[in-house]
Amino acid sequence: MAAEPGLQELRELVAEFQPGRGHVLPALHKVQHTYGWVPRAAIEVIARQLNTTPALIYGAVTFYSDFRTHPPATYEVAWCCGPACRLRGGEAIREAIQDELGIGLDEQTPDHRFGLHVGQCNGTCHEAPQIWVNGRVRGNLTPESARDLIRSLRDGE
Amino acid sequence: MNARLQKLIADARAAWQAEQASGRVRIRVTLDTSSIARGAEETLARLREAAASRKIDADVGITGSWGFCWLEPCVSVRSAAGTHAVLYGNVTPDRVDELIEAIAAGRDLPSLALGVIEGNATPEIPLLEDHPFMKGQVRRLMANLGRTDPENIDHYLAHGGYEGFGKALEMDAEAIVKEVLDSGLGGRGGGGFPTGRKWDFLRNATASPRYLICNADEGDPGAWVNRILMEGDPHLIIEGMLIAALASHADEGYIYIRYEYPLAFERMKKAVAQAYEKGLLGKDILGTGKNFELIVFLGAGAYVCGEETGLINSIDGYRGMPRIKPPFPAQAGLWNKPTNVNNVESYANAPLILRNGAQWWSSVSDAKEKGTKMFTFSGHVKQAGCIEIPFGPKVRTLLEQYAGGLSGDLPLKGFQPGGPLSGVLPASDIDLTLTLDPYRERGMFLGSGGVVFFDQSACIVDLCLFFLGFCEDESCGRCTTCHGGTQRAVEILRRIAAGGGRDADLDNFEKLIGTLVWSNCLHGQFAMTSIKTSLKTFRDEYVEHIVDKVCRAGVCKGLMPGRWARRAAPQPAAAAAD
Repeated sequence: MAAEPGLQELRELVAEFQPGRGHVLPALHKVQHTYGWVPRAAIEVIARQLNTTPALIYGAVTFYSDFRTHPPATYEVAWCCGPACRLRGGEAIREAIQDELGIGLDEQTPDHRFGLHVGQCNGTCHEAPQIWVNGRVRGNLTPESARDLIRSLRDGE
Repeated sequence: MNARLQKLIADARAAWQAEQASGRVRIRVTLDTSSIARGAEETLARLREAAASRKIDADVGITGSWGFCWLEPCVSVRSAAGTHAVLYGNVTPDRVDELIEAIAAGRDLPSLALGVIEGNATPEIPLLEDHPFMKGQVRRLMANLGRTDPENIDHYLAHGGYEGFGKALEMDAEAIVKEVLDSGLGGRGGGGFPTGRKWDFLRNATASPRYLICNADEGDPGAWVNRILMEGDPHLIIEGMLIAALASHADEGYIYIRYEYPLAFERMKKAVAQAYEKGLLGKDILGTGKNFELIVFLGAGAYVCGEETGLINSIDGYRGMPRIKPPFPAQAGLWNKPTNVNNVESYANAPLILRNGAQWWSSVSDAKEKGTKMFTFSGHVKQAGCIEIPFGPKVRTLLEQYAGGLSGDLPLKGFQPGGPLSGVLPASDIDLTLTLDPYRERGMFLGSGGVVFFDQSACIVDLCLFFLGFCEDESCGRCTTCHGGTQRAVEILRRIAAGGGRDADLDNFEKLIGTLVWSNCLHGQFAMTSIKTSLKTFRDEYVEHIVDKVCRAGVCKGLMPGRWARRAAPQPAAAAAD
């Protein structure tokens, strides 16, 4: 796992952002885009850069579901919880994946290869039920094909 | 019209015409989130490869969605002479070779053809406009989709783009507001409030600077009309905001796009950068002395940021918790300055109104609501796609004509008009029109256009558990009525589904319904709508769950399966369409 970035590196990364200009989310996005997650040190660096408190930045990080406070797994699996997926058997897909990976939602496998979390509908409902593996839609799943997909990723696709 | 704008348009038209007259076959691949999910990137790469290796002599490009989402990737092929063009569907990577062979041989490929889009029908391929999915549609907002490259501002300029803005530049703010008011354009996010009046509030505000916000936080699961527009014709939204800025003397605008739409974010950012380059945004726009800055802002995954004050707090960098109103955004919004928030589709209609006039715009619909409206549909349907139609179609038309009917062999059980807050209606309400009033009368609302159909394999308790679970998860946490109330509702529903239903549960639902309406924002106020509406029409099913311990759909695992419990295997959408 990558080491936490240093303070100087973080300061340079967010140097373009200014207080009072709506730059909290853009700064957090830039950090997450760079490292894959938002390290604790980044919260304090952003707070200083934007002339506000770490509590406010931390509040934002924990409010929005797409900011991670831990490094991502190799394969981040988002299980779409939308209505079309649910009507077409999405619950059974979730159960199959959880069973195959041995983890629940918002958890990672001990080797950090797989993480599982809820994804919100992105309007590709014609592919329901679906999951997204690192942002890529894998649709029209059955519990069996979902298991096969996870297995093939595990064995190196 | 402004001379600089005139020149931009003339140059763009000349470039477009030169492109048309190139004498090469023109291939356009729909590249949006829906088509990428079905392999469009690979289809595009294979076509480009074939062109690069001289297997076919063609100019390969990208375009927006035709709405045939279940048949993506869609590819249009225009003959070298420019007299004949055909739209193909289902051109997945494993079938693209067939198309490449056909293009190389200079013939059509009827097995994948959806219809002829330019020239005459052939014995094997009818016109696209005669396709059942296209009949009755009126494509105004979607006019460029499938035809132009969303990443090229010149394509937009060559198709009437920024002409509405050009007209607005010659009008004073009051006249623009009047034109939009005359058209009858109502907010497309579900509220239906007259867009012109909103702009007028901002125009009459005293403080400055003033802000415009485009609400592109399309969070309702099952709705993707805004995504189709942003990915297919982003400049339509920019032009709409420019017109709104002229009408309301706004200084700065934000387009707030949800995190789940990365491609829409990239396309909007690219489009805004191009508009800056052409002098359509920024300082001294086209030499008129007017200024308007536009910023594309990425959300981070919070449904409640679709509420306008939650969205404002989110841009501000706080937790996206809706504010207590008043003050309303028109008085104190972003950074406590006057702010106007409209939906993507509301802004996108403004260029059409200014370009063609209010009367032309409103004449298309017989309903009280004017203009066209985009809808997406999903669930137990054969075809999940996107249409644009004069306001006021029947739900039945949407299901039977555009969605191609139900995907399984079970009868329809009900539908949800637009989003988890909008409520559920039974199959007997299928002849309601998709207008605002019928839903208001039932204590629900139309929503922003994502209709979800479900057949008898769906259980109403399970559906409500999903909707309430969503509301619980997305509650911002401000009001106890909302965050506590949704938790209680979810607990009760879970208990019922597990076989522990109690006689008092239905009364407790009624209490919760009466309590949650006192929440601060619409999220809490409407969180119980699905339970409220289903208790009226599906009450028997609740009673069966609680008293008889039977789930007729066989979904709830703690109960005995009932009469509809023979769950059909989910059908892949593509197979159903073949």
